[in-house]
Order: sequence, then C-alpha cells, then structure tokens
Amino acid sequence: MNYNPTYALVLFFIIAGILYVVFRPTKGWFWIIKNNFRSNEKVVIEDVLKQLYHFESSGNKVDTKTLVQVLNFNNNQIIEVVKKMTINDLIYFEKDVLKLTDAGREYALRIVRIHRLWERYLADKTGFSKEEWHDRAEMMEHKLSHDETNSLAAHLGNPKFDPHGDPIPTITGKVAKVNGVELPLLAVNTVGRITHIEDEPEIIYKQILAENIHMGSLIRVIENNATRIVFLSEGEEFRLAPIVAANLTVAPIEKEVFIEDNIARLSSLKEEETAKIIGISKESRGESRRRLLDLGFVKGANIKIDLTNPLGDPNAYLIKGTSIALRKDQAAKILIKKD
Amino acid sequence: MSNKNIDHILELSNELRWQIGDDFHDNLTEGIYADAAQIVSDTVQVDDSKKRFRLDRQIDKIVTSKTFGFPIMFLILATVLWLTIIGANYPSSLLAQLLLDNIHPALKSFAASISMPWWLDGFLIDGVYLAVAWVIAVMLPPMAIFFPMFTLLEDFGYLPRVAFNLDNLFRKSGAHGKQALTMTMGFGCNAAGIVATRIIDSPRERLIAIITNNFSLCNGRWPTQILIATIFIGAVAPSAFSSLISLLAVIGIAVLGMAFMFGTSWALSKTVLKGQVSTFNLELPPYRPPRFWKTIYTSLIDRTLIVLWRAIVFAAPAGAVIWLISNIYIGNESVAAWTIHSLDGFGFLLGLNGVILLAYIVAIPANEIVIPTILMLTVLVTGIDGGAGAGVMFELDSANATADVLKAGGWTLLTAINLMLFSLLHNPCSTTIYTIYKETKSAKWTAFASIMPVILGFIVTFLVAQIWRIIF
Repeated sequence: MNYNPTYALVLFFIIAGILYVVFRPTKGWFWIIKNNFRSNEKVVIEDVLKQLYHFESSGNKVDTKTLVQVLNFNNNQIIEVVKKMTINDLIYFEKDVLKLTDAGREYALRIVRIHRLWERYLADKTGFSKEEWHDRAEMMEHKLSHDETNSLAAHLGNPKFDPHGDPIPTITGKVAKVNGVELPLLAVNTVGRITHIEDEPEIIYKQILAENIHMGSLIRVIENNATRIVFLSEGEEFRLAPIVAANLTVAPIEKEVFIEDNIARLSSLKEEETAKIIGISKESRGESRRRLLDLGFVKGANIKIDLTNPLGDPNAYLIKGTSIALRKDQAAKILIKKD
Repeated sequence: MSNKNIDHILELSNELRWQIGDDFHDNLTEGIYADAAQIVSDTVQVDDSKKRFRLDRQIDKIVTSKTFGFPIMFLILATVLWLTIIGANYPSSLLAQLLLDNIHPALKSFAASISMPWWLDGFLIDGVYLAVAWVIAVMLPPMAIFFPMFTLLEDFGYLPRVAFNLDNLFRKSGAHGKQALTMTMGFGCNAAGIVATRIIDSPRERLIAIITNNFSLCNGRWPTQILIATIFIGAVAPSAFSSLISLLAVIGIAVLGMAFMFGTSWALSKTVLKGQVSTFNLELPPYRPPRFWKTIYTSLIDRTLIVLWRAIVFAAPAGAVIWLISNIYIGNESVAAWTIHSLDGFGFLLGLNGVILLAYIVAIPANEIVIPTILMLTVLVTGIDGGAGAGVMFELDSANATADVLKAGGWTLLTAINLMLFSLLHNPCSTTIYTIYKETKSAKWTAFASIMPVILGFIVTFLVAQIWRIIF
C-alpha cells in the first residue's frame, strides 16, 4: 500500500464527515431512518386521536385537510388510517368534520395521560432540559403499556398536573380543570398566578424559557396593549409580545395579596442586604428541591450573602449559620422578602 | 372486611389524594421544616457574638477575593505538586536501589543456588517480582507525599473554597466546581481521584468527574513525560534553555489534559449524560486547625496503601505476562516480537511504533512500567547490546543511555511527542478501571470511561503524525 500522509488525512476527514452526517444528534440519517421505522400504523392512529382530542378540547372543528397539515406524516398514510379508524369506530364524520367517538376519546385520553405523566417523570426524576421533555414524551406515549403507565403514575404519586400545568387524565379518564385565562385577556393591575405554560409551538416556548418565567409565580399586569404586555413578577419586569403571552395561562386572584410587591428572587439579593425566605418556586423540582429543603432553605429562614465569587457565580449564602454556595439559576428559584 | 369494602376505601383514598392536589406534599414538607426551625429558634440559645468569628471571615475574604484568590490557589497547588515530584525523587531512587539493584540480584542468586528451573526463576523473579518492585518504587513515595498534603488542605477547609472560586469555569462545561478537587487529586493518582468524586453528590456531575479524571496526568505518567521531554524535546532546544523547554513541554501536556477534561465534560453533559439528574450545592465549612497526625495516618492508610495494594495486585500478573510474551516462541520469533511486527503498521500511522503499542497493552495494569517495558522490548527486537535479557524490564541510569536505546529503536522527535500525547490520552490503568467499576457499579460507564480516552488518543496522535509528515 502506498502511504501518503495527505491521503491518510483526507481519508480520515472523509470518514469523520460520514460518521457525523449519519450519527449527529437528531438530524443524523441514522436517527431519521430509525424514526421512520417508528411511524407505523399504531403511531399514526394515536397521533390522529390525540390531535382530534386537542382540537375538541379547544373547541375547534377539524376536517381531513387540516389534520393532514397538522400531522407530520405521509398524506396517503393519514387518509388510509382515518378510513380504518372510521371502520373501527374510533372516529366518525359529521359532514366534513371529524369527531371522536366515546371509544376514541377514551383512547386519546390514555395517550395524553402517558404523554403528560412522562413529562412529569422527566421533570422530577431526570436531568433532561425542558426543551427536550416534549419530544421525548412524544416518543414514549406510543411505547408504554397500560400497566407500565399505572405503575409510573403510582411511582410519581399520581400527580394531577404535568410540569407545564396541563392536567394529567386519571385512569378513569377524569381531567382536572386548569384555572385561569390567557395572559393577554387580563386587564391592567390584575394580580394572578401562572398556572400553565404551553410548550407548543417550540419557537414560542423557547422564548418563554429564555425569559426565565416560572410556573406558579405571582404576577401583576402593568401594561397591556396590542404591541406588548408588561408584567411584574418576583421583583422583575417581563415584556412579552401578545402572541407569546397567549401561551401563558394566569389565574386571577380576587382577594388582595399583600406581600406581592415585596417578593423577589434570591438572585437579586445584594451584599449587605438581609432577607427572609418565602418559599421555593415550583420550577425547582425533584432532587434539587429536596436538597434545598435539606440545607435549610425553608419558609421563614433568614438569609444574606456570605461571600461573592471572584468569577461572579456562584455566591455563598449564610443560612442558619452555615455558608452554602448556590448558582444563579438556583438562586432565581428561591423566593425571598427583603428586610 | 370484604374485598369490596377495601376496594371502596382505596378508591376513596385515591380520589381524596387527587383532590388535595400536587402542592400538598410540598406544603407538608415545608411545614415540617418550618416548624422545626421555629422550635429551634425558641429553645436553642445561640451566642451571637461568636457566630462566624472574625478570623474565618477574614480568611474567606482573602482566599475568594478577585485579586488574591487565584494567585493563592495556583501557588498552593503548584507547591504541592512541586514538593511531590521533587520530594519523591529521593525515596524513589532509594527504593529502586533497594528493590531492583539489591534484592533482585539477591533473589536471582538464591534461585540459582537452589537450582530453580530457568523458566520458573524468570517467570517469578524477572516477571512478577520486578513489576511489583517497580510499581512500589515509582508509586509509593509520590503518593505518600501528595495525599497527606492534600488531605491536610482538605481538613483545614481550604479545598471547598477552591471549588467555590472555580465553579463558574466548571459550570460552563456542565461540571461541578468540586471537580477541580478530584481533578487535582488525579494528578496524584487517578484511582484516588475517582474515589474522591464521592464528594460530588449530583449524579450527572459525578459521572462526568469520574469519566474525565483520566485526563489528569497521574504520578505514574509524570516520570515518563519528564524523561521523554528531557531526551527529545530538551535536546532540540539550545542547551541553555533545554531544561526550561522540556519542563514547559511537560506542563503543556498537563494543561492539554485539562483542556481535554473541560472539552469532554462539556460534550458528555450535552450528549450521553444529559438525562442524569443534576443538582448543585456546595457547603463552605468553617476553617479548623487540621488534626495533623490523624490526617497523616488516615491518608496513608485510606488512600495510599489501598491504592498501592490494588496496583500491586494488578502489576504482578502484568509482570508475568511481560516475561511470558518475551520468552514464549512461535516458530523462531517470540510472541512479543511477533506482536510488535504486526502492530508496527498501525503504530506508524499514529506516529508511534509497535513496541510502544505493545508496551501500553501489557502495561495497562500500571503506567509506571511503560518505560522499562519499552526499553526491554526495544532491545529485544533491535538486537542491540544492553538490557538484562528477554522479559527482564530495566531502566538506565542516564538519560543519554536511554536516548541511545530509543534512537536505535528508530525514535524521532515525532515519536517522542506522540508518546507524550498518547501517555496522556490512553485508557486508564486497570486499578483505575476497577475503581471506576466499584464507584459507578455500571459496566457500561466503566467500558465507556476506558475506551473513550484511547480513541481520543488514536485520533490526536494520528492527526499530529500526518500533519507533521506533511510539514517536515
């Protein structure tokens, strides 16, 4: 064999390039092919049912054309499947509009239940980032059996809501009601609590995540017009375009909440200031939350900055006589009232 | 009670539980903590004047300050490493003299006096004994110096401040600030560094620290780096700067190791480890005077001796294998020579040679015996004078003599540089692999941690070799 370093190098980069194209995360050919194998009939049926259920619960009507547009499958495959589902009595046509039969709705609820339970599982028991929850649950909802789902639910303590605030249907198909209305519908000066953050479409969800808006936090609307919505929450000001704000559901609180304007995030505490802890935000979940409680970050505890970091993050806080360092993103999930 | 009733009660409880909602459990926990805090504040009296006494505050202000924090840290760590490397030289050479120059010949003559068959004598004394003696001589002194000093710093309370200062760097690569400590510990011994990852309580960050610990140049590898840098890299520099240049080359390799550590940590946290639970918290305990003798004792027993024992257990069979492959013949070639010739092609692609690859295969149990094995194998295949016979590892007293043997084996500057790179980027030693398994309890992560660095090593040395050959 004739050896030439240039050829060897070129060959290496060609092989590396091929490996990259085939295996790169999510867009690699290997994953695409694997996903295509996945989209068998069962998956299409279940996705159609779920989609119809979502349309139904948001009060929209849907015909075959819209369905084909919404779902990411081969058109013929969808039409084929819809035909089959009508025969199997899962759906029926009312003129052009597709409707779920009772059996169909029950099936759809089962899928929704798995999806939301799995998101809850990912949030509480794993370290996957929020952006990944939805896609992973989309895969999982077609895989878990009935028994597996129930033992998962029991393991998680039969939760009522998923991490976005969507209700998880029970075994019997009962669905809790989400309190509140879309944020753009609230009048200026309304006080409310964020009860739901919609995770679709992805682009808008990512914007909400980038803003660091937290589930379960109290807000006060201070400006609401066609171009933007501004609200105060946990001592910070947030500005959103109405289309983004529409993905937040807020439950207005009627009675006056007196502490509301004083709440701040621990990350905003400055040196030499002291404060009392109000609680830990819902965004801190699972193991992280438990550790914070163990370390004494509980309601009523006094806290102040003990040491600032030469690189800016993390800072050490003095709590119950001990110095504990927390990173900024953690400190942002602890709510305090400054003295 | 009938089954129907039980079912009814279960159903009712589920129903009620669901109605209470998700917040219930949290509120209950928080309530318990808050009540406990209330009881404490009502009943326990704290002398406020003594709280966080001044000295602690003052030390903390200095060691975490923007101006002094990092210089102090580098100074302390550099001192510890310098003391270890320099200080270990003397006991190491004493031990080497005792075990290799005195006891080894004594054993040989004893074996001869009772007319032990040559193969048993070679297998036991030249193989097993020599490997074990080498590991003890090279490994024991640096560990016996490094670990007590490190433990004293830990006991004093300084190390958590290092983790605190550096956390931001590690956070950016998806790791925990305490990894700074386990990484530094890895400079002493990777196996000990991996045991030390127990201080990281977040599962994902702990796995990252375990997998990347191998990128810390351990004390089994420092001597190799220093020797090769002196012989080949120091030699190309003007003689006035040669020792400085070779020192810089070794430091460069160690820093490159840190760069790989950060890079791999980042890649791991974004890919294979992204699903592992990740939390962070770092307690900064009050300073206290170290309990000197107790610390010395426990660090010697817990860290040094345990690691040394494991190393010996693994080194003994390695010595046996090294002796056997050099003395068992297939046709008219020993197994070693045959393997070396078949590895030569691949070795050449990586800018190395068959001898080095075989040495790294048989020396998986202990990096300490890589250089002696390379020397022995080089003499074996080139047939030059020197050495102590087939399968008997040896080292030469002067760097010049070593250089002569290696150059006779066809070594160039490229071989030397790639050996230094490969010494940094190859599979962990078997003691470390075993420790990874003990700590992770997972065959998957153990395999990954063992194979990933050697693949990196292949890629890096390959690229360096090709580019070098194109340029020169």
